[in-house]
Amino acid sequence: MIDYGALLYDPVYAEIGVPATFTVTSTSGGAVADITVIDDTRPKTLPAGSSSDVRDVAPGAFARITEIAENGIARDGWLDAVLSFNGRNWTVRSYELRGSPSGEDQGEVRFLLKAVSIG
Amino acid sequence: MVDVREDILARLLAVVATIPNIKTAVRGDMDLTPEHLPAAVVMDGDEETNDAADGSMRPANRPTVVQMTPEIILVESEVGEIVDIGTLRREVIKRVLTDTELNENIVKTGRHGNGAIRYLGCQTDVGWMRSLHGALRAQFLFKYTLRPEDL
Repeated sequence: MIDYGALLYDPVYAEIGVPATFTVTSTSGGAVADITVIDDTRPKTLPAGSSSDVRDVAPGAFARITEIAENGIARDGWLDAVLSFNGRNWTVRSYELRGSPSGEDQGEVRFLLKAVSIG
Repeated sequence: MVDVREDILARLLAVVATIPNIKTAVRGDMDLTPEHLPAAVVMDGDEETNDAADGSMRPANRPTVVQMTPEIILVESEVGEIVDIGTLRREVIKRVLTDTELNENIVKTGRHGNGAIRYLGCQTDVGWMRSLHGALRAQFLFKYTLRPEDL
């Protein structure tokens, strides 16, 4: 059986991943973990009314679910966690599970982020 | 400052938050994940007047009657405490139309003034993800007096 984590994800994260700090805020006690993420911040245009657009970026980051779990962080701690990487701090507002042939728990998660200061 | 529109929307959020087993009650934010469900979302509504046909000498800053149609979105959960959209529909209609604060102090319906609260209807939708999710959008109409000098 192919180990997708070792053969696919790990080399990619080793090459283009950046160090990140994942700080859980929603569960009692909280937790802090050093993980590796792939910056997925992308430009985005938001319709503002019928004749105006706001151009900005949609911050996001990919992470390996196995790495997060190895640090003792369960899925119910993801929302509202603070993710710091590439010199910026973000809050996890939502996420998308990406799945993998080995099961969703062995795959990636794409965190959808927002600026900490916006709340 | 008195903004009846804002008072209505804030109170609507408080009312939907009292629906039994609702886990998340937010306003204007449809970014929900399964961890948020069952959820209730209050969406700010359009506001309309009948003043387009009023070409009279009435001063611009005089009170006028407006109608707002906010929307309440309810999403059920099939995990944990099961709350179906039928229950959510009953609860939201009952709680909004009978809320004392909305009727007597904010909108001022019946003997309290010339405001009105009406249930306009709802639309339902269901679909499968990890489990079955059903959602319901309910519209209400609020008629109240807009007093520009109070804003």
